[in-house]
Amino acid sequence: MNGMGKWVSRGILWLFLLIIALFTVFPVLMTILGSFKSNLELASGATIWPKEWHFSNYAEAWKQANFSTYTWNSLFVSVASTVGTLIVASMAGYVVDRRNFIGKRFFVVMQASTMFISIGAVVLRPQFELMVDIRLNQSLWGVVFILISAHATTFFILMGFFKAIPRDVDEAAMIDGCSFMGIYWRMILPLLKPGLGVTALFAFRNAWNEYILPLVFTMNTPKLQTLTVGLTNLRYGSGAAMQTHLMMAGACLSMLPILVVYFFANRSFMQVTAGSVKG
Amino acid sequence: MKKLSAALSAVTLSALLLSACSGNNNGANEPSAAAPNAQSSDKAPESAPADKGPKTKLVFWTFDRHDNEYIKERVDNYNKTNQDNIEVEVTAMTENYVQSVDIAFASKQAPDILRPNQDTTIPFVKKGYLEPLDGYLTEEMKTKFGPTIQDQANQFDGKIYTLPNFGYTLRLVYNKDLFAKAGIANPPTTLAEMVDAAKKITEAGKADGQYGFALNFKAPKSALDRSAREILQLSGIDGFGYDIRTGKFDFSGFKPVIDAFKQMRDDGSMLPGVESLDIDPLRAQFAQGKIGMYLSYSAEPGVYQNQFPTEINWGAAQAPSIDGNIKGAAGFANSGQWLAISSQSEKKDAAWKFLTYMYSDELLKDYHEKGYGLSAVPSIAAQANTPAINGVEGFLLTQYDALWPLPPTVTVQGLNYGDAFFKYVLSGGSLDDIVADLNKRYNEALDKAVAAGETKAVVDPGFDPAKLQGTMLTK
Amino acid sequence: MRMKWRVHVENYGFLLPSFLLTAVLGIYPIFWAMRYMFYDYKGYGDMIYIGFDNFTRLWGDELFWEAVRNTIVYAGGKIAITIPLSLIIAVILDRGLKGRNFLRALYFMPTVISTAVIAVVFFIIFNSYNGLLNQFLLKNRLISGAIDWLGPDYAMLTVIILAVWGAIGNYMLLFLAGLQSIPGDLYESAEIDGASAIQKFWKITVPMLGPVMQMIIMLAITVSLKGYESIMVLTEGGPVGKTEVMYLYVYKLLFPVSTGSAMIQEIGYGSAVGFATAIIVGVITGFYFMLSRRLNKIY
Repeated sequence: MNGMGKWVSRGILWLFLLIIALFTVFPVLMTILGSFKSNLELASGATIWPKEWHFSNYAEAWKQANFSTYTWNSLFVSVASTVGTLIVASMAGYVVDRRNFIGKRFFVVMQASTMFISIGAVVLRPQFELMVDIRLNQSLWGVVFILISAHATTFFILMGFFKAIPRDVDEAAMIDGCSFMGIYWRMILPLLKPGLGVTALFAFRNAWNEYILPLVFTMNTPKLQTLTVGLTNLRYGSGAAMQTHLMMAGACLSMLPILVVYFFANRSFMQVTAGSVKG
Repeated sequence: MKKLSAALSAVTLSALLLSACSGNNNGANEPSAAAPNAQSSDKAPESAPADKGPKTKLVFWTFDRHDNEYIKERVDNYNKTNQDNIEVEVTAMTENYVQSVDIAFASKQAPDILRPNQDTTIPFVKKGYLEPLDGYLTEEMKTKFGPTIQDQANQFDGKIYTLPNFGYTLRLVYNKDLFAKAGIANPPTTLAEMVDAAKKITEAGKADGQYGFALNFKAPKSALDRSAREILQLSGIDGFGYDIRTGKFDFSGFKPVIDAFKQMRDDGSMLPGVESLDIDPLRAQFAQGKIGMYLSYSAEPGVYQNQFPTEINWGAAQAPSIDGNIKGAAGFANSGQWLAISSQSEKKDAAWKFLTYMYSDELLKDYHEKGYGLSAVPSIAAQANTPAINGVEGFLLTQYDALWPLPPTVTVQGLNYGDAFFKYVLSGGSLDDIVADLNKRYNEALDKAVAAGETKAVVDPGFDPAKLQGTMLTK
Repeated sequence: MRMKWRVHVENYGFLLPSFLLTAVLGIYPIFWAMRYMFYDYKGYGDMIYIGFDNFTRLWGDELFWEAVRNTIVYAGGKIAITIPLSLIIAVILDRGLKGRNFLRALYFMPTVISTAVIAVVFFIIFNSYNGLLNQFLLKNRLISGAIDWLGPDYAMLTVIILAVWGAIGNYMLLFLAGLQSIPGDLYESAEIDGASAIQKFWKITVPMLGPVMQMIIMLAITVSLKGYESIMVLTEGGPVGKTEVMYLYVYKLLFPVSTGSAMIQEIGYGSAVGFATAIIVGVITGFYFMLSRRLNKIY
């Protein structure tokens, strides 16, 4: 390949990446810039840069959405349900991929069928009544259990990743005398790291953004409310119009924890061999 | 149920057991024990307060946010000053309020006091959530609230479930500067004048991005409920398509109004993109002086005072009628409901004591004067000062505001009339066919609901909308 | 025999937490909600058993079938753009390229912003009166008159753009994670053989990504057929029903919002429509699953 052609293809590549970057980032940038605008300016549209920088939006959102208390509740729900989801889904995914047993097909169909229903609010009432029976209705653990129970997506994504791990790994370990549990925990899970990383990120983000479950479970215990409940309340304030400016500032603040989790997750799919392929 | 919950505890157990086999290095993965947990015992309404003194705790849920600070302040004040050792806790929920209430009642976690509104009172009463207040009401209160007590709004089968506080009048909101620029002296009083004014304003201002008219057609039904409704009601026609004189739905009255909207759109006098316009972007454009007029509720002055501060010179006027002949009165919207007591509450007497505080003359008057909403209690409205908000003058109750009899509630199959009419505004067709189709579907739904005993088709052959005039004013 | 018993314990023991949680908190509530589909029920009063009447009504419900058609256009458009685009991005950002971590983070950003906020931003960009996109296009004389991006003709395109925008980051990450399982030496030996980037993509990346890709596409299909939240906040299914999708229709039946007149939930009919929608999503997903398994065998 001659030098000229290589430069052209490089150029096309970077142009492509740049266009995608512009496409993805522009609305994000508008959100961040919007969080500094006045409510009127936001609702009127037409501007990119704030006419006046309203830093007070952040202070106001922080106060009104009760960030300092609600953040901890959100973190608890998100971390607990992420860990739970990964354990439950990866164990199930592992046996379903590696073993044959009666009822396997039934189990897979059952998992799949929960994925076709979309409206969480519909099944909320029976779920809540179950939690009342076991007295978890005023606890965030109730929210955590329900979030873990919705692990079908994680299960199927991980199935894909299990399939990609060669069965030789299991067999070699078996010969070395490892137990089934031991193989799963010491051999397979480490190899599953990229899949676990990405599903952990998704599970965390889901839990972090979950609104209706924490709302209902904290109906009578406002101290346990999560950030999304506080953020949604930001939309309405003293007046008939939406407080869009505070909503935006709140949304920008609440993005940060997910980004932190992202940076950890990203490390699980950084090529170890990075740099070996120069080009 | 019991079996299922047993199964659920088994999940926890098995998860713990299985992870235990793997050695002890996953302790770090377990959610920390210090995590927030429920302090359920001290919040649960049914738990007996065995501690210091018999404090009666009441839980109060509302969806109102606009008055949140004020209500909190007044409730705090009540908690400090009441002699009955009552403590009220307010929770303001905005979205999913109804679902939360449903779930709370189904699982016996309901609040003691709740806030029904124009949409939820009927379901709440039918579901048995609300306690009739008749046993508590004094004669004096019955007279005070009497003018705003209405069947299907706050009274069902002769029982009163909630009392009024504030309501919304409906007006034409217009930009005086743009009217002057287009050489129009007064706000329109007929549909033809409205169409004409919209055209002139657009012609005069289009170069500056100014248009004559707009409505929030992103939600067509909501747009018609704040516009066509009062135009029709002022003309002596029901604003929701129900003709109480025959006990049938008849949408033919909408035709001139819808045609006027279509004309304005065809003329290009409406703000471009009205079909995706929400009410807030509309208000923002109005505040920027880009819209000549629109029709809406009396929430608008508060918006331009606090949220979308504006330099423009605007005002509110009575909405036009179809042909200038006023044969009725504009609806006084959402005015029948405010607070109610839960049928599941074990502390109804305490809840009523709190309600008497909330419904006291002093509080209702203060509420009106601070501008949280126009009082729907005529005796309060008569003695209170004008709310301290710019632009509110045009919204105050006149003899042409009144409570209309409410239409029966029906579940219609297919498009609602808002969507059906808006489709015509956008893409044309035969308005007569649309009206015929709506009449057919709505009346079928009505017959079905009546047959099932879900609703009553009230018939009043002698109903005269002109007699509604002046009913909201104390003489 | 003892061995066999142990295997059973291992199998079902590993499955148990997932099975119980799904059965109790996933499946049981679905049945609880779905039983309403044979009733006429408005959330209060009597539940009237009406057999299959709700399904007869569904069969003749033009609004629903329009929503089905819209959903197919919406999901089809979203998948057709998102999957290839995010796969290409993932391959480019997988290794080698300088600044790839930065770009990954950029591309991921859209997925962390809440839907309600994004609707506001997209309205600022796309509205026809003073939207930034129209301003830009007009200023550069790329169009002669304002385009009504949220009007009847273009609204579907706009919601697809919104969907693609929100999805690229997710699928990029899934593909990136999948690419990690492809041994690096495969590429190295191909390079020694003088394979071009495109050859490597078709000969190594695509086949090796097989099982992961199958799951990702399956996920993409169900997710896009189910999606309604971002449409709900941006257009509410309008104008005149042009962006109404299946689950948005169900949502409006179950949780109606209306002003001025009483709100009536159609729990019976809504459940029936919800059930039919779930079946449609299930059948399409199942069909893909069979097809992809057959394709896998050919490889």
